[in-house]
Formats: sequence, structure tokens, C-alpha cells
Amino acid sequence: MIEVEHLKKIYGSTVAISDVHFSVEKGEILGFLGPNGAGKTTTMRILSGYIPASSGTARIAGYDVHEDSMHVRRHIGYLPENPPLYEYMTVESYLHFVSSIKGMAYGDRTLAVTNALKRTGLAEKTQVIISKLSKGYRQRVGLAQAIVHSPEVVILDEPTIGLDPKQIIEVRNLIKSLAGEHTVLLSSHILPEVSMTCDRVSIINQGRVIITDKPDNLMDQMLPVNIYRLVVEGDVVSLKSRLESLDGVNKVEIIPSDSRCILEISSSDKYDHLAKDLSRMVINSGVDLYEMRHTRPTLEEVFLKLTTQEQ
Amino acid sequence: MIFLNNLYAIFRKELGSYLFSPFFYIIAGFFWLIAGFFFWFILSDLIQKVALIEQQGGLTAGVDLASEFLNSYFNVIISLLLVILPAISMGLYTEERKRGTLELLATSPITNSLVAFGKLLSVVTVFSILWIPIVIYQIIVFSASQPPMEITVVILANVGIFLFATSVLSLGMFVSSLSEHAILSYIMTFILVVIFWSLDILSNSVGSPLSYVLSYLSLFKNYAPFLKGVLQTENICLFLSYIAAGIFLTTQSIEVLRK
Repeated sequence: MIEVEHLKKIYGSTVAISDVHFSVEKGEILGFLGPNGAGKTTTMRILSGYIPASSGTARIAGYDVHEDSMHVRRHIGYLPENPPLYEYMTVESYLHFVSSIKGMAYGDRTLAVTNALKRTGLAEKTQVIISKLSKGYRQRVGLAQAIVHSPEVVILDEPTIGLDPKQIIEVRNLIKSLAGEHTVLLSSHILPEVSMTCDRVSIINQGRVIITDKPDNLMDQMLPVNIYRLVVEGDVVSLKSRLESLDGVNKVEIIPSDSRCILEISSSDKYDHLAKDLSRMVINSGVDLYEMRHTRPTLEEVFLKLTTQEQ
Repeated sequence: MIFLNNLYAIFRKELGSYLFSPFFYIIAGFFWLIAGFFFWFILSDLIQKVALIEQQGGLTAGVDLASEFLNSYFNVIISLLLVILPAISMGLYTEERKRGTLELLATSPITNSLVAFGKLLSVVTVFSILWIPIVIYQIIVFSASQPPMEITVVILANVGIFLFATSVLSLGMFVSSLSEHAILSYIMTFILVVIFWSLDILSNSVGSPLSYVLSYLSLFKNYAPFLKGVLQTENICLFLSYIAAGIFLTTQSIEVLRK
């Protein structure tokens, strides 16, 4: 549905993006992840037809975003970083306005607006003037305008920015509910958000897409390490040497803390088969076990690793 | 059909932004107050003048009060409009840029020229609302005038004002599309319009044939015949060119000046 190849954008002498490439299948949610200033907004603005690219191609639903701009615009809904709201309008009249400039027929608008209001949880705010709305509600109105005309492709630039945790969860659920029916491209610099809502993630840094993959695969590929942390009391030294002999264990470290000890066991085992062997060995050794925790590298660590490597 | 739908949507949205803002009422109040004052002032001044002539035993039959009033009053009003009109057009695009709503318009399936045209229609409507009391004043004066005023002269004077105002608003729209600062847009439009207004005077200091071309472009020179009740195609064409140029330049600047 979205195909982007070697996209480049230069403002004067600054290179905003130098090589952006990815593709999004119909009905899929692709997360665009990168630090601030990485080129996320620039890429989205090019896709939405707001600015032209310096070189490279971007196609949406088979149409070039620059050459067939009008055609593309009919198929996309776009939420920029700052929701484009007319403050003096009521929520309902604003959505009516948007649906009409998106080319919807007069007869279809009322139903479309009602649906968008319902989906974004704005049904009780229809007659409220936008300038009186809180940040969270404004963001929802912004989302509502992006989906009111049921576009095939929805482009969302930092959709959860400035929301409180409850609102973030609601917006995420809304975005997830768009999948299947709509193709979604969303950007974020908040990692858990992307790993929770997206089917695939593109990591972008300094204007280049470094990698595109499923969140789980990214973690497995980039940091193939599992860590088990055990809080124990007793003869840890002999336990350590026995643990080290286990298949799949790379390293065991003893971190003393108060009366108990923490054992940190790194393994290259991708899955959690090792857990049962570990626990059995600890119990049989007569050492008292207080806690056993399995930690996996977070997307954050993957992201940091990737983006710092680049620099 | 879609074209008309979109045009109407833009027009309505824009008109709403004026009618829902206190700013419009301040501008309207200011305009109506000053225009009302001058209506009273010029009229009573003329009446006094006639009374004086009659006192001295002179003949008043040859004094065409009505056209004298039309001339003086419209000259005052048009100077007032030079100050008012840039204030009406200054927010047309500056607000869209500031609020980020330009991004919505520019990514919707509507052309820049349609947006500009719809916006211009809305400010022309705003101007027409401001103009209503002036029409009432004219009805009061010219219905009572003796000898009766020729109606075509009055209509032409109003048509001239309308074309002049639309031209200024169109240029003002272009200036407003250049930045996100309304005040800057006001000042620039005012300066630009004053220059275009007085091009015929300014052009005297430049050697011909450039001076001929410049004076031809003068807003004042093209407006003056309307006030005399003279309808010339060249004057209409010039105003229409100004209007078209404003729309065209706006379209271009929106295309080029995207952040």
C-alpha cells in the first residue's frame, strides 16, 4: 500500500532525510521509530503530499505522492504533529468541514462524522468549541479528522504526544482497531508505544532507515541475550560453578547485596527453556531462592544500540 | 459539483472565522463610527454652504449637492478603506500558518487556487457587510436630492469601490500568505496598497515611458472615472488583473513557502 524508495529531502544545506525506504502492506500498522530530528516528520510530510521530496520515490496505493498528489490525497488521512484545528468551530462542525474538503458527498458526511466521533470517544463533545477542549481531546479531534473520510491509508505523526496515560491507552487501542481496514503509518519516539501497537517497526536515525522488522525479531536479532536474575542465600560460590556448566549459560556473575546475593546469569538461549533447568539446579543445591526474574532486552536497548552504532 | 462543494466549504469556514471573532466587530464598529461621523459632517457642511449662498441672495439652483456629496464622501471613505481593508485580509493565511491548519488544507484533495478563491470570496463578503450602512446613507441622501441624482452614477461609484476593495483584499491575501505574523502582514499590505494607490503621483518623479506604465497601474487613477460615472473597460480590466494577480501569487507562495 505504501512503498518508499531512497527518499531524500534537503532543505538548503541541511539534509533532513538521506535514504528512507520501507513498504507497508495493506491493513498493516508500521511504526516509525527514531529520536527527535531523525526525519520522521519530514518523511510523513512528503508522504502526505505537503512537501515534495528532493529525490527518490514514494507511492501510496500505486500513485506517486508528488505526481498524482490529488489522487493520493483522496486516499490518505493525515494527523500532523500539531493537530490542525480551527479553534472557533465546534467539534462537529469542524469534522463536517474536513469531510467536505476531503471530497465526501453531502449525503455521506453526517454518518461519517458520527462514526468518527464515536470511534474517537468524542460523542459527548460534539457541540463543544474546540478552543475549550483539553489537550487530550484536541488530539482525539485530530485523530477523528484523519479517519473521518475512511481513508485507505492513515498517517499519524506522534499521535499520543502530550496525552495522559489513560488517554494514551485509549488512543493506542483506537489505532489498533484501525488495522485491517486501514493501513497505518505512525511515528513515535516512545518505544513501548511502537512495540505495543505496531506489526512492524522501522528504525530511523539521522535521516536513514536502519532496519525494518517485527518488534520481536528486532530484539532477537539485535540483542540475542537473555538474562536471569536470582536472589539467593547460602553457598553461592559452588552454585555458580555448577550453573556455569549448564548448557546455554554464558556467564554467571555474583553481585553481593546485604545478606543475600544476586546471581546474574546471561545466556544465549533465545527462549526460556533454560529457566526450568536453572530453577531445578538451584533448589537441589540447597540454596534458598527468594526471587527469579527473567529479563529480555527492551526495544529501548535495541534502539539505543542501533542509533549509537550509527554515530 | 465537488468543486462548488469545496469552494462553499472554504468560504463558509472562513466567513465563520470572522463572524465568530470579536476582532471583526471591533473593525466594523470602528469603520461604521468613522463613516457615520463623516456622513453627518460632510452633509451638514454642504447644507451650511448652501444656506450661506441663499443668505447672500445667490442662486442655489445650479449647485449639484448630491454629486458634490458623493465626491467628498467617497473620497473620505476610500481613504478609510485603505486602513480598514488590510486589517480584514491580514489573518487570511497567517492564522493558517500559525495554527498548522495549512497542513490540513494542503494535504486535502483541493487545489491552492480554490482555497485562495474561497478565502477571497469570504473577505469580499465581509467587506460587503461593512458596506451595508454606507448604502443606506446613500439611499437617504440621494432619494431626497433635488435635482434627482442619476442612479447610474451612484451605482458606478459603488461598483468602483467594490472592485477597488476586492483588489486590495486580493493583494492583502497574497501578503498574508507570506508569513505567520498578522501585524507584519497588515503593515506590508498597507504600504503596498498606498504605493499602488498613489502610483500616478509617484510616477511623476520617474521619467517616461515608465511613468506612463506606472500611472496606468495606479489604483486611484483607475478608480476616479467610476466616481465620475464613467465606465471604461480598461479600468475594469486593471482591477480584475489585480484580483487575479493576488490569487495567482497566493497560490504560488503557498506552493513554494512550505516549511
